[in-house]
Amino acid sequence: MMAEAETPTIALRTPETVMKLARLGAFHQTRLSFMRQLLRRMKAEQWRFEIPVFDIDSNGIGHAVYVAHAPGHSYSLIAFSHDLPPEQRSDRVIATAWDATFTLFDGIPDEADIARLADNVPRQEAGRITDRELALSRANRSVRLWDYVVDRLAAGKQPDARKIAEVGYLMRTTAVYGSGKFGAADRDALADRPEFQAPFQVEMLSVYLTRAFVMDLVEHTARMRAPERALALDPVLRRRFGIGNSTGLGMAPFLITHPALLNNWVGAREEALRRVRALPEAPRAAISAFRQTAARARIHAHGWRSDHPGQQAKLEDLRADMIALGDHLETADMKAPYPWDRLWRWGEATLSLEGQEQLVSLLLEPHGELVDDLCETMSADEDENWRIDGAMPLSRLRDIVEDIYGWALAIDWSAKPAQARIWYTSEEKLEPRMGERFDEPLSPYEQPLGPGRDAALMHGDITASDAPSVAEFLLKHPEHRHIARRAQIAAKLPYAEIRDNTIDAAVMPIDMLRMKLSFFGACHFDPRSDRWVRINMYQNAPFPEDLARNAADDWTLPRLPEAGE
Amino acid sequence: MSWSLNEIEALSRKAARGGGMDWGLAEETGKAVRWLCAAGWPGPEALAALLPAQDGVTWEAVRPRTDTDPWSARDGILCPSAAGAALTDRAQTLAYGHTIAMAAVARPILLIPYAAWAADLAERPLCIRWPGVTVTFDSGTPRADIPDPASLTAARTETLEIAPVNETTGQPVARHTRADLPADTARTLTAFAQRTYAPGTPESRATGAGAGLTDND
Repeated sequence: MMAEAETPTIALRTPETVMKLARLGAFHQTRLSFMRQLLRRMKAEQWRFEIPVFDIDSNGIGHAVYVAHAPGHSYSLIAFSHDLPPEQRSDRVIATAWDATFTLFDGIPDEADIARLADNVPRQEAGRITDRELALSRANRSVRLWDYVVDRLAAGKQPDARKIAEVGYLMRTTAVYGSGKFGAADRDALADRPEFQAPFQVEMLSVYLTRAFVMDLVEHTARMRAPERALALDPVLRRRFGIGNSTGLGMAPFLITHPALLNNWVGAREEALRRVRALPEAPRAAISAFRQTAARARIHAHGWRSDHPGQQAKLEDLRADMIALGDHLETADMKAPYPWDRLWRWGEATLSLEGQEQLVSLLLEPHGELVDDLCETMSADEDENWRIDGAMPLSRLRDIVEDIYGWALAIDWSAKPAQARIWYTSEEKLEPRMGERFDEPLSPYEQPLGPGRDAALMHGDITASDAPSVAEFLLKHPEHRHIARRAQIAAKLPYAEIRDNTIDAAVMPIDMLRMKLSFFGACHFDPRSDRWVRINMYQNAPFPEDLARNAADDWTLPRLPEAGE
Repeated sequence: MSWSLNEIEALSRKAARGGGMDWGLAEETGKAVRWLCAAGWPGPEALAALLPAQDGVTWEAVRPRTDTDPWSARDGILCPSAAGAALTDRAQTLAYGHTIAMAAVARPILLIPYAAWAADLAERPLCIRWPGVTVTFDSGTPRADIPDPASLTAARTETLEIAPVNETTGQPVARHTRADLPADTARTLTAFAQRTYAPGTPESRATGAGAGLTDND
């Protein structure tokens, strides 16, 4: 009996455990995710919303302005709606025309701003925006759903809920550019705006307003077609539409090129899990909230569709895991000391990676007061730890490499599969791509996105060097400067480096995409190949006009009464 | 045309890499050019002039020999990116109160940001100076004393030093959040950046970005 009262040591999960691609590729959204941070803030600060302009003709051509008033600033989504011939509709980044194009404007645009942006925003990468603009994006209609919904509404009928569930959105964004891209304002320039302190808040706001616009547009289109008969969407059905998003390879290198940010995202999530596990007891209300969330996650797992064989297998695991969790909760002793830790350890021993990482999200859910302050730790200044410490003894750098990249030193890099893949930028679209190192003449163009291989190469040269310090070593070996910096960063920031081979023959870039998108708050990951993925954003979220009346943070998982759907 | 600082950093990083620098040096060069733009100084122009002049040279030819005083390059003129990297790597020397002198540096303006970073690392006020230019750094805003503006954009300086100082002097350097890049500068940097892009091939078009399934439904 005495042993039970002892305080267990509950440590953070190690980077060796967490930073594996297969596990990162099983992450789910949590209450720390960026969409949820944004909605909680908008609700708490009582943001106001208005639509001063909605000028779109019966061919779907025109523009609209959606304004969000934050306490100190206003931001406007300027949406341009186009009449896109079907043969031009493509989600790929190489597309040159879209159904709708957008920019998030800093303030409220006047007519001159709109005229300037009308010349540039529809051209996306080929146009030019300014430091008055914070983001640039575009979206395409879901061919499956758009016409169907317009037809139904114009006929005076509601769309079928099952059809909505099959797709889940009327438009998908195919790129949302922020942070200085194509002339937009730098993130640094917004440093004094509290609403943009957390990561990707500009992009999340832009997509949130885009969803509102798309729903208004579909109703508007039906009304233009049948002014007498057209219905508005039933509010219950309306909320079931999110905004789709197609994300390709371009997002994967971001995680490698932003090590401090990666560390802070994963670190916040891991610390949140540790805090919950360290709770000595579970109040009745928290247990009941947890059971509810677990039941909702079970429904969510059943509603999640993918045609990708890898994801289908993971979904089978997840569904079985959610049933196992439900069964376990029937008998688990939640009155024993450290009940959350016991539950976690049960999960670690029992569930698949999908299930374990879903359990992380579920454990955080009823503990907002305990973990939400960690949201403030999730942005990062990459420059803070970016300078190389040249005075470091070379033997210390060798120790760091052996500690952090031990997994890479164990790989036989002369075997072709170990570095079969190569990351490069294509001349045609200036976008990151992945190729076959031994089949294509790409080596001269390799991007530094294989830290394991680079660390192993540096380790060989360190071993052969008699330089006393990192400074002396790098003077002789400038080719290792990039990886020496990464190693020193990772020595300070434990979750800064993916502990897996990002150029292996079997690497799945979608694992990196999934991890990043989970921090955005995305759901329904649907890989379309090993290197691009579709998701749904803001599905079931309250619309701007509902935020004041509705809960801002209880929408990500489906509600229980809909269980029979 | 007005550029964001992120764009300038990315372009400069790629141009430096395209000009033959290793990635780690190219990354620092990108940040150095950004730093100069934030100070309102013509960093991109300096890089656009440096890269053609250094095109095809080897690291061993232009890196500093740090065991001599002043530091100098084997083949006559120091690359500011190489000298800057070596300088920040030896910030501890500056922390101890030593001065680092260099002989024959190309485009010395590109070294200014490295001196700023070295002052951060050394945690003491430093200055970088060459004839006609003195810029000092402590924890606050950098200050510049530039009696001869042409010296700031000089193609080379025969003498340069980074030295501890007791007080900062000169005009505070204003902060800028954008930069106007002259068209010829942008063209030159873009041409060097272009060297980092792989030419399109049928394979890369077919599979590089991961298409294969229809994306249009």
